[in-house]
Amino acid sequence: MDFWLSYVTLAAIYVLLGLSTNLLVGIAGIFSVSQAAVFGVGAYIVAYLLMNEIVSFLPAMLVASAFCVLLNVLVTLPALRVSGDYFVVTSFGIQLLATAVFTNWTAGTGGANGLPGIPPADLFGKTLDDSSQLVALCVTAMVLGCLAFWLIMHAPFGRLLRAIREDELAVAAAGKNVLRAKVSAAAMAGAFAGSAGGLYATFLSFIDPSSFDLDASILLLTMVVVGGARTLAGSIVGPFLLLALPQVLSLIDIPTTIAAAARQLIYGVLLIAFMLFRPQGLAGEKL
Amino acid sequence: MSDYLSASGLEVSFGGLRALQDCSFTVERGRITCLVGPNGAGKTTIFNVITGFLRPDAGTVSFQGKPLDGMKPQAIVAAGIARTFQNLRLFVDLTALDNVVVALPAQSGEEPFSAIFRPWHVARAQTRLRDEAMQILDHVGLAARAGDFVRNLSYGEQKLLTVARGLATGAELLLLDEPASGLSASALDQIMALLRRLQSEGKTLLVVEHNTRVVQQIADEVLFLHQGHLMARGTPGEIIGDPALAEIYFGGVI
Repeated sequence: MDFWLSYVTLAAIYVLLGLSTNLLVGIAGIFSVSQAAVFGVGAYIVAYLLMNEIVSFLPAMLVASAFCVLLNVLVTLPALRVSGDYFVVTSFGIQLLATAVFTNWTAGTGGANGLPGIPPADLFGKTLDDSSQLVALCVTAMVLGCLAFWLIMHAPFGRLLRAIREDELAVAAAGKNVLRAKVSAAAMAGAFAGSAGGLYATFLSFIDPSSFDLDASILLLTMVVVGGARTLAGSIVGPFLLLALPQVLSLIDIPTTIAAAARQLIYGVLLIAFMLFRPQGLAGEKL
Repeated sequence: MSDYLSASGLEVSFGGLRALQDCSFTVERGRITCLVGPNGAGKTTIFNVITGFLRPDAGTVSFQGKPLDGMKPQAIVAAGIARTFQNLRLFVDLTALDNVVVALPAQSGEEPFSAIFRPWHVARAQTRLRDEAMQILDHVGLAARAGDFVRNLSYGEQKLLTVARGLATGAELLLLDEPASGLSASALDQIMALLRRLQSEGKTLLVVEHNTRVVQQIADEVLFLHQGHLMARGTPGEIIGDPALAEIYFGGVI
């Protein structure tokens, strides 16, 4: 497949994930390190539904999104009770649990070998097996996601979430239901992550647990930190920039084994450097 | 005596500390009632109990004849009671206007579904919300600072903003926690004038206040609290003129 199309398609999918993480971590202040797990569940559900020819692509995406909405609400529920630091630990546990399930539930997920041969997406009876069609699908999904994010942030809901991030108690004193707002944010984040998972599975036609592990969750956080928290621009810049990194490294003449390690190293350095010197990221607000 | 707001037999303990002990009092509609007493007398604890932030170990609070027991803060605001905080708790990264808008009740677009699927409806509603918030800001004298971030407002302006936020909830009973503390003389006059004006517009105010000059000027009635118990009630003249109470208040120990 053409290099640029593949890059844009993947980046578009990661923008959806960036929006999901930004909504939860940047805006609602629920510091989750398990968004890749939700992403994975979306991917496995769509893969399962399409491989077994249970439903077509759009209904599969709908099922995956709905399931991830529920799942994300469920996994963020502890954050609605315990706040801040404690939730990071809880969320860490959720991520490890998910990775264990993805790796060991061989019947459902193919285990560590993953699921090969996932059929491509189809729309209204027409199979999208051409790379330009796929990029159009993913970019459309990305644009819809960005539009939804923008509308949310410019509606009273966005204002309410910002206020909650600053001072929950004061929001409650203003007569607002803090719990409902947080659950809604988690639900939205789940829908974004779930649909990103579905697109990812059909785009690559192969998924395995390594795409949905703790490293992946941290990559998502890095994208939000580098791009910028709480802004639409930040959610777009981060994924496009960080996904370009492996491509740039591949241009340099180094062995592939070192390239993979170098990538992780650079992600780590970026995360620390941005937190220390530019916490608002390239196009965002302070986390 | 009316039973607009009444508390009876409130008991609150924090570990070994008894913050409220058999605390009973009433507040009458349309009046400014000042809650005074030395530090640690339980004034803020009373606010926390009335507004549902703290569940008392015993006792009950009722508002307009209906008990508030076990109600969540947001339900109590909806019933018509709003509060401010001693340490303000404003949203410092939002503008003054947005601080007020947040507190306006029942907004469309306050959940993601209508925000995404009814954008035009929400946009029209937002314009109305901003107008409404602007009127409230104008009312407390902050119209000129509407677009400014809270961190750029003076302390006095921030205090006025907390009152504006309380007003935005639509509550008819406002509990104000030290609205005049730390203010310059001119800011003090401004906030006292505002409280008088709110009263004339039909609001009922329960105010925690330390400044005896302020109490004397605004209070219709004073509740004197000591060690979590209502020790005396009366007009400002009666309370401030009582040497025994003054002894407690100004550093005396019983």
